Amino acid sequence: MNEIVLSARGVTKIFDQGQLEVRALRGVDLVVREGEFLALVGPSGSGKTTFLNLAGALDVPTSGELTVLGREVARLTRAERSELRLRSLGFVFQAYNLVPVLTALENVEFVLELQRVGSERRREAARVLEELGLADLAHRRPNELSGGQQQRVAVARAVAARPRLVLADEPTANLDGENAEILMHMMRDLRDRHGMTFVFSTHDPRVVAHAVRVVTLVDGQVARDVEKPGEAPHEILPGIGKASEQSRI
Amino acid sequence: MARVEGKYALRSVGRNARRTVLSVLGIGIGVALALFMESLNRGRGEMLARAAAHSGSGHLRVVPEGWRLRRDPRLRLADGETDLAMARALPGLATATPRARAQVLLAMGNHVVPVEMVGVDPETEPRAFRFVRTVAAGRYLWPDDSGAVVVGKAVADRLEAELGDEILATAVGKGGDIESAMFRIVGLVATGSEEIDAGICQVTLGDVERLTGLAGAGEVTAILADHRTTAAARAALAERVAPGDEVMTFEDLSPEFKGHLEQDAAAGRLIRIIILLIVFLGVASAQLAAVLERRREFAVLAALGMRAGRMVRLVLLEALALGAAGGAVGVALGLPVLWLFAKKGLDFSRFTGTSRAFEGIILDPVIYGDVGPWIVPYVIAVAIGATVLASLYPAWFAARTDPAVALRVAQ
Repeated sequence: MNEIVLSARGVTKIFDQGQLEVRALRGVDLVVREGEFLALVGPSGSGKTTFLNLAGALDVPTSGELTVLGREVARLTRAERSELRLRSLGFVFQAYNLVPVLTALENVEFVLELQRVGSERRREAARVLEELGLADLAHRRPNELSGGQQQRVAVARAVAARPRLVLADEPTANLDGENAEILMHMMRDLRDRHGMTFVFSTHDPRVVAHAVRVVTLVDGQVARDVEKPGEAPHEILPGIGKASEQSRI
Repeated sequence: MARVEGKYALRSVGRNARRTVLSVLGIGIGVALALFMESLNRGRGEMLARAAAHSGSGHLRVVPEGWRLRRDPRLRLADGETDLAMARALPGLATATPRARAQVLLAMGNHVVPVEMVGVDPETEPRAFRFVRTVAAGRYLWPDDSGAVVVGKAVADRLEAELGDEILATAVGKGGDIESAMFRIVGLVATGSEEIDAGICQVTLGDVERLTGLAGAGEVTAILADHRTTAAARAALAERVAPGDEVMTFEDLSPEFKGHLEQDAAAGRLIRIIILLIVFLGVASAQLAAVLERRREFAVLAALGMRAGRMVRLVLLEALALGAAGGAVGVALGLPVLWLFAKKGLDFSRFTGTSRAFEGIILDPVIYGDVGPWIVPYVIAVAIGATVLASLYPAWFAARTDPAVALRVAQ
């Protein structure tokens, strides 16, 4: 049995908005094991983003116990949560959120620089882009890339530091069907090749089709947790996996 | 290899070109103004020090012990010749001259004027005391010019005396007796200030010795080539003067003038602080706006694991780039003006008249700006220091970005 990377027991999150109290999560119980490819689905306001924020140590639960990679999030200081994100977690956002003044290569390299990777970080960033079939885009800035290309670079940035858990919030929401397919294949391939765990939220049934496990949140609670029997095979995309097997990812 | 962080900071400065240009211009104008004010202040300080030194006090004065408190003109140096020789051996000395003073009553006909008579060395005195260079009628004293006196025009007017007239000088002698001597007016000095002219009465050192019966000089006045060396020169001379004598600076001699200098410097500082405050607030506002615009970006950086300290560093690096550009613009704007100011000077005479007297000192109406190596650290301190300081709060604000809140708001 694979190691548990994420464990939530009775996790609640309440946002105090003046006189209004918003209960975003109402006792979520969920265990995610290493190597899972998990889709969080549910209607808007069901708590998907809130759960991903907690899982990414961006926020702390109001109550309950949430453990990420063996660390209980609520007990970590702000700096320790930063360190956890830097060393072990990767993020992919709906709006790509690449640094606009940096090229694709520099966006990836910057994460490695934050990790204090030495002089080889540029080579390493280039290798990641090449492995994901993005070498041609390395020297383009985000405004010179299409939405799909930006999101693929964002995935490259998220996985460059070899995180154990990658969290993606509606990663395909701004992409057309073709680009959504490409992105999902890319993420699935990374998971298959490197054993990374992916947890992503989505509304898109085509994206859900790629998931191995689908957790449905309704009104801040897990309404359904379905594991597909056997994994759907997926086609390795051309351009992915060109780099040496010795590469970091 | 250049760090991505550096490129990130530099390119971020160029994101909003209009704001960056305005910020850089603001910093540049602030730096140029601060440079000008500093140059003016230094130039004014230089002028005041020069005016004070050449108005009789010198940069340094060797006096007998006890003179500091009693200010008794009858006191004489323990060994004036040694003191003069030691003063003349000082490095960076422009001139040194001996003097002896006596309180006298000048009389002609029915008119009597009390005045401080100064016995001087006619050869060196004009180099130390600039007023006597402005002899309006007649001539200045010659060496061994016994019986000759040069007086201020106001003194002559009060006595109703003219050039060539003989006047009677009466003083208290060494033993307390009243002593008198006749002097012929050989020169009239007109400085433009009645206050100053009313105090000028110079004869040879020997004549004062004969009139008072007190031998030797009562002081040795030294003028330095650079007033900024006054403290060091004083320390050096203090070790060498004859026992029983001591060294004072021009600031010690005139505490009122020193107070005026300090007041002047404080006013200059206040103006510079106001300029810097304006620069500071402008930069802080622009940087805060830049950080607020990029809240989501900082949230993403935080989500990627960027620590608060590195975020502060990133914003400060941007400020550093902005400050460096502002400093360069400030130098480009300010240096030509400063150069002109140093060469031509600023003539304040239209506001103050041709000369202004203060505490027995005639101030020059033209002030020349000071241009020197101080500009480099000054620009660095003002441009980069003020910009980086002004960016501390925006940087802290960026570092405090709550990624969950900022990303939720952005969505």
